[in-house]
Amino acid sequence: MMNNNGTTPLPPKLATATANLAEALRAAPPLVTYRQAQADLEAEPAAQALLDRLLTNQNELRLKQMNGRVTQADVDALRALQNEVQENATIMAYVMAQQDALAYLPEVNQSISEWLGIDFAALAGR
Amino acid sequence: MNLTEIPVAEATTADTAVAVAVRTFAETLADSAVFHHFEEANEQLRADSEAQAAMLAYQQKQQSLQALLMLNAVSPAERSELERLEEVFFNQPSVTALLAAQAELRAVCQTAAAILSERIELPFAAACGPGCAC
Repeated sequence: MMNNNGTTPLPPKLATATANLAEALRAAPPLVTYRQAQADLEAEPAAQALLDRLLTNQNELRLKQMNGRVTQADVDALRALQNEVQENATIMAYVMAQQDALAYLPEVNQSISEWLGIDFAALAGR
Repeated sequence: MNLTEIPVAEATTADTAVAVAVRTFAETLADSAVFHHFEEANEQLRADSEAQAAMLAYQQKQQSLQALLMLNAVSPAERSELERLEEVFFNQPSVTALLAAQAELRAVCQTAAAILSERIELPFAAACGPGCAC
């Protein structure tokens, strides 16, 4: 039997344990810092726009690389954007916070998996 | 950092809360019917000599043809034999039972991971990547 969103419902005790784990993780320092950095970034439209420009530029360059159409001007433009991003404290704080948060989650999975005897994230991956 | 071995001097309330919640979550999942069902199916497969023999025959055939498979140079006869051995293995009742039990467990774990991901605003399973747990 599936939930309305197509997921398998959890047994009540497991649902409670999952919710409690979710709240504990949410309150963990790396994730609190990440959400704050994300909020700070969203509060600065100019910084958000700069990051968006970098990501768009990187995607376009990737496509050009596949077609062998990268020019020196393209490379110079990317480098200039990268320098500008690295000098933006709000963006760098967000990037570092996201990195730390993403590095924290495998530690959590390792602990879960040690208790279980199987790799939880591998089983949960799609 | 292993959450189960945080030095006392460095542990924060949040670290302790996560360690406790991790343990409770893992114990609750391990104590669930779907997990027990998976463990039982695993044990049944281990104890099934016919299924074990079928698995061995399939694996040995696969290994013997590995290089040719990579080059897509396996003869029709060998490919047919490999497929036959594969079918024999996967049709073993204990194998189908284990795969079914694993699928049920996977579905529960995916739901749990989705709940975690939604609350922490990061993709939990994807962030861990393949083989991140020792």
